[in-house]
Amino acid sequence: MAEALSVRNLVKHYPTLFGPGQQALRGLTLSVPTGAAFGLIGPNGAGKTTFIKVLLGVVRPTSGEVTVLGGDPQDLSVRARIGYLPERMHLPAALKGRDFLRSVSTLKGLSPSDAELGKMLERVGLANSQQRIGTFSKGMRQRLGLAAAMLGKPELLILDEPTDGIDPLGRVEVRALLLEEKARGATILLNSHLLAETERVCDRVGVLQLGQLKLDGTLEEIRHASSRWSVTFANGAEGADVAGFVRGEKGFHFEGDVAALNKAIDAARAKGLEITSVVPMTRDLEAVLSELQGSEEAK
Amino acid sequence: MKQMFRVAFDLLLEAARRKWFLALFGAITLVLVILGFSLQLEVVDGAIAGSKLFGSMLSKEIVSANRVMSGLFTVVAYLAFYGGAFFLALACSDFAPELLAPGRIEHLLSLPVARWQLLFGTFLGVVTLAALGSFYGAGGLTILLGVKTGIWNWNLLLGSAVGWVGFCALYSVMLTTNFFVRSAALSGALGVVTLILGVVASFRESISVAMSEGIGRTLFSWAMLPIPRLGTLATVAANLAGSLPNEPGMVGRLLGGCIIFSVALLSIAAWRFERKDF
Repeated sequence: MAEALSVRNLVKHYPTLFGPGQQALRGLTLSVPTGAAFGLIGPNGAGKTTFIKVLLGVVRPTSGEVTVLGGDPQDLSVRARIGYLPERMHLPAALKGRDFLRSVSTLKGLSPSDAELGKMLERVGLANSQQRIGTFSKGMRQRLGLAAAMLGKPELLILDEPTDGIDPLGRVEVRALLLEEKARGATILLNSHLLAETERVCDRVGVLQLGQLKLDGTLEEIRHASSRWSVTFANGAEGADVAGFVRGEKGFHFEGDVAALNKAIDAARAKGLEITSVVPMTRDLEAVLSELQGSEEAK
Repeated sequence: MKQMFRVAFDLLLEAARRKWFLALFGAITLVLVILGFSLQLEVVDGAIAGSKLFGSMLSKEIVSANRVMSGLFTVVAYLAFYGGAFFLALACSDFAPELLAPGRIEHLLSLPVARWQLLFGTFLGVVTLAALGSFYGAGGLTILLGVKTGIWNWNLLLGSAVGWVGFCALYSVMLTTNFFVRSAALSGALGVVTLILGVVASFRESISVAMSEGIGRTLFSWAMLPIPRLGTLATVAANLAGSLPNEPGMVGRLLGGCIIFSVALLSIAAWRFERKDF
């Protein structure tokens, strides 16, 4: 499958005048296939926003290769095919929503009709807003930013906290919009602190920590990339703990990779125990993230 | 190019909805309307035989209309140059910081727009705004007096154009500042400081002579060398407006100096902008 974006050994270092500065990205390698909805998650300071800015050509990498939609992000023809919603978008307060969309359209090289702009405003729930952007609520600004990002049906949508400030019902609407965009064939790169939202929209997830990619895969792979297994024994389980199985509230579980699991199963069977099921224990993204955070702190 | 003009147009659209500029254009309109209704001129054979303002006699002497207009235009040109530059330096100081605000600049740079287009679009927008203000005022006064006296003297517009080039040099300093430190206050302050330095630079020879010889005088001369001589430019603009003679070649030299100064500063801004991460 073709790649919508790929980075190899990406390093971004922000030097300061009087010190070594900060290394935001440390040899990041990642690719997102065309048409995927990719969720980028990680704690604050993981380098997510820097990574997004590198993809847009807003920040220049210290070293490494970046390819977006088959080209260089500094290339204007590549940027014309990208829609971007920044985190905490700053909009011109004196303009009206429609004026802003018209301005972005022109800058994108588009010339939509009034009706098309109206339709876009309607799509994000701002059809009736006639006031200036300065009077917009945070949620309304976010919706307008999303409308601007979706103008011209971009091939790649990069969204940094798209539902920030939007109420719960609005979030459902935004999610529906993103799914519509995905169904249209757009690739989506979603950076959100709302992990449940990422799980609902994305089919692939990458976990970034300290400027490095710690996990990458489909949502299923990430959830099941567990080293925890739930094990059920047939008739009694005397001696199971000896083989490394740990008794919990809901039965036994085992912690370890597949090879260790098989060894433990062999040991249990040698003791005459019968195993009826071994199920990998799935986790949600929150658990994945906190597990990674915990292992990093332990290091 | 279309993108650059769009950036400039958006800036004008934004300015049109700001109180500062509504007040500026409102004040110019108010002055013109009041003068239109309250100034009465009696012109006979190109001479003003009588003039009244708000019904009170201004002068009983018969003077040439051209002479009166020359004097008036000279004063207006001076006022417009210094007052306009000061007002615009303050009123336009936050356009560039707004453009470079976090959350806006990333969005603009993610669009298929080159950085130089954003830079020159902003410059173009602000100087167009200054041109609209000065030509509206100068044009309005020219037409008003033309209608009242029957004498059409367009020199105030010429003086305004020269003054406008001076403001372009001033704004190039303000704009460039923001690519090093994003601050409306600093930008406005440096605009005013440049205006003051521009007046000092106009008298650099006489000030230099008054200083005792040595490193201080040399440093002063070198420091003043690149500063556009805005004080002299104001005099030249006022002379042009008042149909008074200027030293031959002076207008060209001053305008050339302002243009070179602006281009040099905008080049520094473009260089900095191209290398800056946001």
